[in-house]
Formats: sequence, C-alpha cells, structure tokens
Amino acid sequence: MAHEAHSALQNLLEIRGVTRRDFLKYCGSVAAALGLSETMAPQIATALEGAPKLMPTLWLNGGSCTGCTESLAQVDSPDVATIVLDFLSANYFETIMAAAGEQAEKNVADTIAAGGYILIYEGAVMAGQDGNTLLVAGRKSTEILEEAAAGAAAIIAVGSCAVDGGWVRGRPNAAGGTGVQAWLNHKNIKTPVVNLPTCPVNPEWIVAMIVDLLLVADRDVATFVAKNEWITRDYSDETYGKVSLLMPKGIFGQSIHDNCPRRGHFENGEFVTEFGSEEEAKGYCLYKMGCKGPQTFTNCPIVRWNRRASWCVEAGSPCIGCGGLNWVDNNTPFFHRVSDMWMGEGLGNVQPGSVAAIVGGVAAVGLTAHGLGMKAAGRIGEGPKMEEASAYDRKHEAKKGGDK
Amino acid sequence: MTRAVIDPVTRIEGHLRVECEVTDGVVSDAWVSGTLYRGMESVLKGRHPEDAFYVSQRICGVCPTSHGHASSMATENALGITIPNGARIIRNILECAEFLHSHLLWFYTLTALDYVSPINALSANIADTYSLAEQAGARVADFGAIAKRLTAFAENGQLSILTGHYWDHPGYVLPPELDLIATAHYLEALEMQAVAAEVVAIIGGKFPHPMTSVPGGTAFVPTDQKLDDILFRLQRVKDFIDTALIPDTLAIAPYILDATTYGKGVGNYLSWGVFDNEDMDPYNRFLPRGFMSGSLAVEKVGAEDVTEYTSHSWYDSATNLNPSKGETDVKFTSYDVNDRYSYGKAARCKDKPAEVGPLARMLVSYVNEAGGKSPIPDAWANTVRTPKKLIDGTLEALGVAGKPEVLQSLLGRVAARNLEAAYVVDLSLQFTNELITAIKGGDVSFFKAPEKFDGAGAGLWEAPRGSVGHWIDIKGNQIERYQVVAPTTWDIAPRDDNGVRGPMEESLVGAPCVDTERPLELLRIAHSFDP
Repeated sequence: MAHEAHSALQNLLEIRGVTRRDFLKYCGSVAAALGLSETMAPQIATALEGAPKLMPTLWLNGGSCTGCTESLAQVDSPDVATIVLDFLSANYFETIMAAAGEQAEKNVADTIAAGGYILIYEGAVMAGQDGNTLLVAGRKSTEILEEAAAGAAAIIAVGSCAVDGGWVRGRPNAAGGTGVQAWLNHKNIKTPVVNLPTCPVNPEWIVAMIVDLLLVADRDVATFVAKNEWITRDYSDETYGKVSLLMPKGIFGQSIHDNCPRRGHFENGEFVTEFGSEEEAKGYCLYKMGCKGPQTFTNCPIVRWNRRASWCVEAGSPCIGCGGLNWVDNNTPFFHRVSDMWMGEGLGNVQPGSVAAIVGGVAAVGLTAHGLGMKAAGRIGEGPKMEEASAYDRKHEAKKGGDK
Repeated sequence: MTRAVIDPVTRIEGHLRVECEVTDGVVSDAWVSGTLYRGMESVLKGRHPEDAFYVSQRICGVCPTSHGHASSMATENALGITIPNGARIIRNILECAEFLHSHLLWFYTLTALDYVSPINALSANIADTYSLAEQAGARVADFGAIAKRLTAFAENGQLSILTGHYWDHPGYVLPPELDLIATAHYLEALEMQAVAAEVVAIIGGKFPHPMTSVPGGTAFVPTDQKLDDILFRLQRVKDFIDTALIPDTLAIAPYILDATTYGKGVGNYLSWGVFDNEDMDPYNRFLPRGFMSGSLAVEKVGAEDVTEYTSHSWYDSATNLNPSKGETDVKFTSYDVNDRYSYGKAARCKDKPAEVGPLARMLVSYVNEAGGKSPIPDAWANTVRTPKKLIDGTLEALGVAGKPEVLQSLLGRVAARNLEAAYVVDLSLQFTNELITAIKGGDVSFFKAPEKFDGAGAGLWEAPRGSVGHWIDIKGNQIERYQVVAPTTWDIAPRDDNGVRGPMEESLVGAPCVDTERPLELLRIAHSFDP
C-alpha cells in the first residue's frame, strides 16, 4: 500500500518535471514554515511519499474579501507546492471551482455526507441581521458553517476575519461579524480549530498546516495536536464571551520586532520619521511611525510574502498588527506609537472590551517586554532613547494638529 | 416560462446570486443580488483618515491596490495635496501590476472554465496540438506531459475543483487540441498571476493588501535592485500576454462568435480614468475619464454625477443620495425580487445605470483616439500598443473590421479585458523606465506630509473590474462620513426606484439559455463583468 502510494508520488513528480532535489528543497521550506529545523526535510519527504489518496476538503467563504484565497494562489513555486495542494480534493472552493449554483451545493452536501474531510474557513462568521448578512444558496451562511464544522475532522480558520471577526468586527460591527471558534463555542460544536491570523493569511502557513495534518500526522487529528507545539490566545467577544484560540507556536510564538531585519536600527536609535525619506532608504526602524511589530506575534519577517518577494516593513510601512486580535480596534490609529496607546494618550479610540483584550492577552506581554519592559531591563540603555522618542512624538503630533 | 438560478455564482470575488426568467430558451427578465454585507463604511467612521487607506482596501482581496489608491486620493483631495511626481509613477506601476494580476487571474482561473473543458482536452492529438499552437502564434508547452498529467488526475476519480460541473453541456465547442492548449496556459497562468502580484509585493510589501500608498504619496523608496526585480517580472508577464492571453483569445473567439449577438447590457459606460499622466488631469490619464450615454460619444463626468438608489436594497437609508451625503443603514427584510433583493445599492451616473470595467475604458480610449486625442507621449508611440490599434487589429482578425459596436456584447466584454492587459503591460514597462529616468535626474521625492486633517473629497480611480470611488468627510482629525461606490456596485446594481435594471441584469435579458438546470450562458455573462 505504502509502496503503491510512493510510486504514485514519484509519477506525479516526474510528470511535473520536479527533481528529487527540488522536492527535498521544498520539504525544507515546509519545515521552516512549520517552525521546524530544516533537518526535518527528509522526514517530511518520507511522509509525503507515503501519502494515500486525496483528502476531501471544503473551503468555505464567509464574510470575506477573497484575499485569503488570493493569498493561497501566490504560494511558491510553479508545481512543487501544487503537488501538496493536489493531495487535497477541494470539492468546494468557491473562487476556483468549476461548478456553480446547485451543482456546487451538491458538492458540499456529498462531502459532508461522506465525512473525513477538513474544513478551511475564510472570512468572518456573519451573524448579524439574524444571520442574514451573508446568504449562500438562499441559506444563512452560519447554518452551512455549522453543518460543515460538525462533521469535519479538523477546521483551519484562515485570516484574521475567520479567527476573531477581523476588521468586520471592528466597532460598531454593524454586520455582526465574529470568529469561527467563537461561533462554534456558541453552538457547542467541539471540532478542533487551528487559527491562522493576519490579513490576509500568509499562504505558507496554510501549506504548513495541511502538510502537517495530512502527512506528518497521517491525517490523525489527535496526533497532529499532540505532535505540534501550540500557544493559546484568549479574548472576549462582545457577544459570545470568552474564546480561547489554538495557534501553532512555531508561527505565532515570537514577535515581529524580535525577528525584524531593522531591529539593529532600533537598538541604535535610528528611526524613520517621515515616509519616503532618506532614513527610509537606509532601512531605519519604523517604530516611531507607529510600527506594531513589538506587539504582533507572527513570523512574517522570516517567511515573508509573495514567494519571499518582500514584506510590509521592507516596503517602508509600519506593521499595522493585522495578526493581532481585534486588530483594527486595538491598533488604530496605525501611525500612533504603541507606548502612547499603552500609556493612555490614545485610549479615546479604544473600547473597554479592546483594552481588556490588550491587557489580558499576549499583546500586553509584548508591550511590556518591548516597550516599557525593555527600558526597565536596561536593554536599550538607561532609557534615554525611549524618552527622546516620546519627546519627538509630542512635537511631531503637535505639528500635525494635536494627538490623533 | 421557467426560472434559472445560479446561487452561488462561483469563480468571483464575493457572494452573488443570479436569477433569470427564461421564456422559450431566451432570458426574459433577470435579477442580480449581492448577498453579503460587511459594513466597511461604518467601521471607518470615527477613525483617523490615515487609517482608511489600510482598512478600506480590505473591501476586495482581488483589487485592494485600487481601493487603497482611491482611498488615499480621497484624503488627498480633501486636504488639497498633490502627490510628488515620483509617487505618481510608483502608484502607476503598482496599479499596472494589480491590473495584470487581476486580468490574468480572471481570464484563466475565473472564466476560462466556462469555455474550455480540461476533460475534453484528454482526447487531444498531441501532434495536432503543436500544429495548432504554431498556427495560432501561441506558446507551446510539453503538451504530452500535460495530457498525461490530466489523465492521471481524471483516473484517480477525485476531480477536486473540477467536480460536479456540466462538462457535457453543448456550449463546450472547442476542439480538444485547443482545450489542451488553453488548459496548459491555465496552469501556467497560475504562475504568471503570481509573478505580476510579486511586483505589487516588491513595492507594497505584500499582495493582497499592499502597504505603501499612504495619503501623501508612497512609503516605498525605490532602489536599483528593486527596480531590476520589477522590470524583469513585468517583462515575463508581457511575454505571457503576447504568447498566451492574446493568441488564446483570438483562437477561441471564432468558435463563440454568437456571443457578439447578446450580452450588450445598458449601453451606458463610465470610466473615472486610471494611470495619471504628469499633468494629473483625469481626462488625460492613460485610460482616461469619460461617460458614454447610449451612443459612442464621450462626455465629461464627475463625483457630483453619482447617486445611489436604495428602494430595492436591504438598507433603511434615504434613496437617490450622492455619496458625499450617503448613508448605509443595513436592514434585511427578505429576498423578494418584487421588493428588496440585494445588499448592493443601485448606483447611477447622471441618473442612468452605467457599465464599468475594461469595455467602458477601452471604448472611451477608442473614441478619444479616433478623435485625435491620445494621452501617450510621442516618444512612447513605437513601444506602446494603443487601445485603438489593439481593437482595430482584433476586429480585422475576426472579420468585422471597422465595427467597434460589436464590442458591446458578451464576447466584446471578454476581448476588451484581454486587449486592455496588452496595453497595460506595455505601459507598465514605460512607467518603470520613466521612474528610473526620473530618479537619475534627481527626482527623489515620494511623499508630501499632510499638514492638517479637515475637509471633504472624493478619490475617483479604476480597479481592474471598473470604476471605484471613495468619498471622505474629515472633521477634527476624524472621519465623519465614508462612502464607497465599488466597481461591482455599478455592474451588479439592482433596479433603481424607477424600475430600471442594472447593467448585469440588462445584459442577461435576451441571452439564450438552452438548459435552465445548467445555465452555462448566464454564468459566462456574469463572469464577463469580473464581479
């Protein structure tokens, strides 16, 4: 059996002109995206080669912009990644599937009836207007989610909207958006959910999770959960209460600030203070521009985006913290510095619920560790750099017409 | 009389329902419904205007670049800022890459499967496939290996994304060799759309949701290495457009010429214009601003000409308002085609439904150029294929020389998008060279800082799929009102208060529908708008 599957993969590789060397290289990048050592590559390769037939998958779009599907379409590199995706039978994938209308809906029903599939959910769960803010095939989308979630082996919530409602949940949340885990708690559905935030999701992480679940853990969800290192992030949804989110530690365990290529300039006190400037051309630190790297926990600087072409900070923009929870409420105004928000100057823009999320969640740890805490620990010297920064900001903000 | 319903319409951005009444095999009435409400405009209210660029582009994961540009332009318009020349060129390159990404993704990933059957390609004769490719001027691939790959895929019994489609519909008329060529290019296009998106990422950090075009200019500062990376990728995309997208369009068109006889729609066309020229005049953009109302004559048009009706939409807001006074108070009632049936408002230009998108833009350009008005500098004349040249050449190749009116059809809408891609890729290379020349000449200003945040304005621009407008009203550093009229708001508009159908609805009426259970023709028309 294993031998036959092995041959099938070899055939696929040959047909697609992929050499063994390319394949191992790819497995190495999967390992890196999983937060594993690249020495794991041969083990991943062995797991891939032992893969049985395609795993049925439903990719459902909730209140999405389709950006996470788009993001997946950017994944590396001609055929090597699609081999892995070819291990999925994407029976429903709204943006790329051939079928439409009734035929498409039949694919969902057939897959649920057969069982043993994974569910990937993109976009916010649309609960507003009594579940009518998103209708699919004339039905409330929340009902479709519940049916698909209850029968799934595992669920992957891709992108910040699916994780906790994303920008849709930003105040006043007129559309009633929420996250997959919050909704499943509300409906008492216990299927495990892996959460992959950021807006959009980084496609390398989806591939990493799929490889890990299907191939390294041989589709066994219990093994998948047991073998991985996880972190949990807690927050309080305004409507559905306390939610605990499971996330892979290798991806979301370290702050952007910790791995930022511009970190040296932060330590040296070399900052960009205006966009498109000479300091930007030198690649100085964007902390003073409001960079949310210190409080945002993803491996973006390592994995990068669009087949490693670049990432947000390299393009001269401060990180806006799209991998954080309730990220729009917690991180706007984006160009306002973290410590200022923390110290209260910008609190007018933050709701009580959001403050609880900051204080109670990982973000608070980040702020303490990298703002005030670092000063206290003496890592950035006697503290003058931070003080100078605050003084600079006061002046800068005053010039723009007061605090934002 | 029967009903044909497509819900969900797949292979689009977002959530759409198409319902048609079919009488004797022809559509006699149609209703198009946007079935998702997320509330972007209300989320932006009360936030800082600089946040709007980042957040508002999340309306669309396929055209975030264009929404971001319209948003920053609205703020710049409100504050009276003109961005530096360097930022103008960088934004043009970004927007070109967005268009190229989106157009390639649309033709191959989203609509090709309405015409091309990868299942039928299994019976292609490989030698004949090479001959056909050579004859069509299309790039060759290892057609034998691809056929083998498809066969292996079909034989494993799990069709994945091809599951459950009506491949035996009589509308699939291409010879298997052409199906195989197009399928090979479908696979290659997955790579090429990503190459185009890499250009957005190099400038904007990532795609979707690039980060650079903040109000006042760009955060990005180009370096020699980045410029090389951009040029190299654009050159690859150009090669693919010239040897796949255009030849495929011309090879497929003769088999579906009946698609020039239906799908016209309302016959009114709007373009806000896109790709700014040095003078920043919207009527002199490389795809210029203009409105056509029932005839191929270009009129001037502005933000004040837009209104949105709400009497058939799920909103409890006043109707027929200009977006500068617009309201969006959601209130779902029920899906009822005789009453309210969509989250889309009915956008109107000079009180008329208006089609937006590549067909509108290419027609405006065509008419201007025919009248001797072109935005293209003389120095670029030999390297840029102009819209009129591209259209005239295509009409001639299809045996309808000198008849641009045949573009007002399903096939015309498909062709216009692909021809626009050829024009845009030529422009993109010129813009990149223009940026290099500007930097060498010492033009290194990319950002002008806003001084104060007060005022009202509109940003009128084009996304790949059509005219995008953002309206902002800023008081005391906060957004007081934010309104968006997205491209698809124009095209999928429901009826207005006077019962006049929207552009997609009107284009469906009169179309053939040979099988209401498998309404392939209607899916083609819906996709032709790239909703």
